[in-house]
Amino acid sequence: MRYEFSWGMLFTQPYSGWIIDGILTTFHLALISWVIAFALGVLIGVFRVTRSPVLRFVGTAYVELFRNIPLLVQLFIWLYVVPQLLPIAFSSWWNRLEYVPYWTAVIGISFYTSSRIAEQIRSAVMAIPDGQFKAAISTGLTPFQMYRYVIVPYAARIMIPAITSEFLTIFKNTSLALTIGVIEITATARKIEAWSFKGIEAYTVASLTYVATTIGVILFMNWMERRYQIPGLIKRGKEGL
Amino acid sequence: MTTPIVQIQNVSLTFDQFVALDKVSLDVHVGQCTVICGPSGSGKSTLLRCINGLERFQSGDVLVDGTSLRQCRDLPKLRLNIGMVFQHFELYPHMTVLDNITLAPIKAKKLPKAEAQALAWHYLERVGIADQAGKFPGHLSGGQQQRAAIARALALQPKVMLFDEPTSALDPEMISEVLYVMRDLAKDDGMTMLVVTHEMGFARKVADDMIFMDSGRIIEHSSVEEFFDMPKAVRTKEFLNKILTKF
Amino acid sequence: MDWNVIVVSLPLLWKGLLTSLNLTAVSIAFSFPLGCLVAMGRLSHRPWLSNTCASFVHVFRSNPLILILFWFYFLMPMIIGSAINDLTSLIVTFVIFFSAYFAEIVRSGIQSVGTRQMQAGLSSGLTHVQTMRHIIMPQAIRAMLPALTTQCIIVFQGTTVAYIIGYNELLHSASMIAERTVRPIELYLTVAVIYFVVCYSGSLLARRFEKRTYS
Repeated sequence: MRYEFSWGMLFTQPYSGWIIDGILTTFHLALISWVIAFALGVLIGVFRVTRSPVLRFVGTAYVELFRNIPLLVQLFIWLYVVPQLLPIAFSSWWNRLEYVPYWTAVIGISFYTSSRIAEQIRSAVMAIPDGQFKAAISTGLTPFQMYRYVIVPYAARIMIPAITSEFLTIFKNTSLALTIGVIEITATARKIEAWSFKGIEAYTVASLTYVATTIGVILFMNWMERRYQIPGLIKRGKEGL
Repeated sequence: MTTPIVQIQNVSLTFDQFVALDKVSLDVHVGQCTVICGPSGSGKSTLLRCINGLERFQSGDVLVDGTSLRQCRDLPKLRLNIGMVFQHFELYPHMTVLDNITLAPIKAKKLPKAEAQALAWHYLERVGIADQAGKFPGHLSGGQQQRAAIARALALQPKVMLFDEPTSALDPEMISEVLYVMRDLAKDDGMTMLVVTHEMGFARKVADDMIFMDSGRIIEHSSVEEFFDMPKAVRTKEFLNKILTKF
Repeated sequence: MDWNVIVVSLPLLWKGLLTSLNLTAVSIAFSFPLGCLVAMGRLSHRPWLSNTCASFVHVFRSNPLILILFWFYFLMPMIIGSAINDLTSLIVTFVIFFSAYFAEIVRSGIQSVGTRQMQAGLSSGLTHVQTMRHIIMPQAIRAMLPALTTQCIIVFQGTTVAYIIGYNELLHSASMIAERTVRPIELYLTVAVIYFVVCYSGSLLARRFEKRTYS
């Protein structure tokens, strides 16, 4: 197997420019989608745990819908199907937007991830011991106060690992956007490979982006957990064999 | 004096920075029932687990029936001579009580199934739960589970039985049924036993030797009368005061 | 909208679905055992083994599936010396990629049983292997079933990635038909429904497993 490594090439134009664009696109696509997904996810998550059967049904339907269809298929639906089904005025505005694929990806990834976040929120609230709710109410707090001062802080801490994991998942899922034309880092790597035949260098850049971000986010999460830790609450026991 | 069946010689054990055992030495003779008590973190359970090799100590040695743990090549075989009963019973939830008891005789001692089952029935009757043999542990009360766990350990016909706080996880009304089984084991069968417990009533009536441990050391080791009436160390006195006069 | 297109295309879509299911099944068949091995390695007392397996898991869980697919699609012909067909590179990618996820599920299943059951087994004279086989694994597998089922559904959803290299699974077949007949709405909605039905049924199965505990 003969392969001539040429790492220096990555630092020359046009490759270096592409790489920077690709990394930036990956980051802002992930971050914008994350913000929307989190807001939506919290809303739907709350629906799932309220006492109203109607809201719970809406929440469940939402989650099941977006969870059981592959993200790639969802992207295609947002790209090809939804614009056609909308009123003409809206779809013609949409089609004349710059970066339609980008915003399609944002919408697609946001809705998909929001359903997963809603599930995490539901798990976290269900994991809170029943006694906490009872203790809070018995001291005269209103339901709203109970949620604000007791339940939400508790659930937030339980959720930290799962939410971090969802962010990393969104970050990895931005790669799917390449199928609808968004040039994020994986697409960039493919492009570099196609132009230079130096696949190892190209894909290493992409992999490094993901791995470095993963490590960074996990370190941040560990810091967050330690900083906001409630002693004895989340048992980080090391039960190994 | 015959050789003690369990000889703990200057054993020390450290977990990371924490010293769990600090040059502990102890001899246990055949037929003796030794009760070990002390505050939590004093190393009592750790000491017990050193005897059957579940914990690896860094210095010193433990000899069981003449075999040194340090030089032992076949720990599983050695453990056939040492029965252990745990605080949380640790029955295998996915097997019936009978299967729980016959597993090790069949797999470790290589006994034929019929023989293992005969043994199991014998000990099930001994501890008084023969009618629960076909049930799963989840269907038994705590006291029944612990008695099943004792039968499981006895089925290997060990020379020494180790009890690690056997009644600490039980509802108050079930503690006595387990203690009676243990008393009969000590008095009628003459089993050599090491018991870590806070049940002082049991200790006074059944034990031959009393040991008090604190911070990884044996502070006091004496006969039952001396221990309760004239303890030598101040620390022992403090502990006994707190534990005997609870309110 | 002209739903007749769907009726006419059903045979092709059915073939695509079978291809996707086949791809899923083969991937799981190799990926799960590999994952078990990696999980065992991760739990080993030998640092070189547990660290290697831990790194394996971290690397493949940090990278997106598409990128791993590109890696293997590019690297394999180079290493082997000749061109590789699409299916082989897909299967190799899926098997290795998903084994990291299976490894995590197996590992946490085993750890959820706890050290005390292990101690109980060892203290009665069983060897480490015997304890794993008779005591730990039966309990671990029961604990793992819901997560394993969910992971299988994820593998099935992952097969859509094969679209990118032009392999003819369900999504790709549908897009070919959509292009040919210029009827993307009908095709993609149908495909979405098919995926939904399969994945939702799978999730119901996973929920059944979750309910079965020791009474």
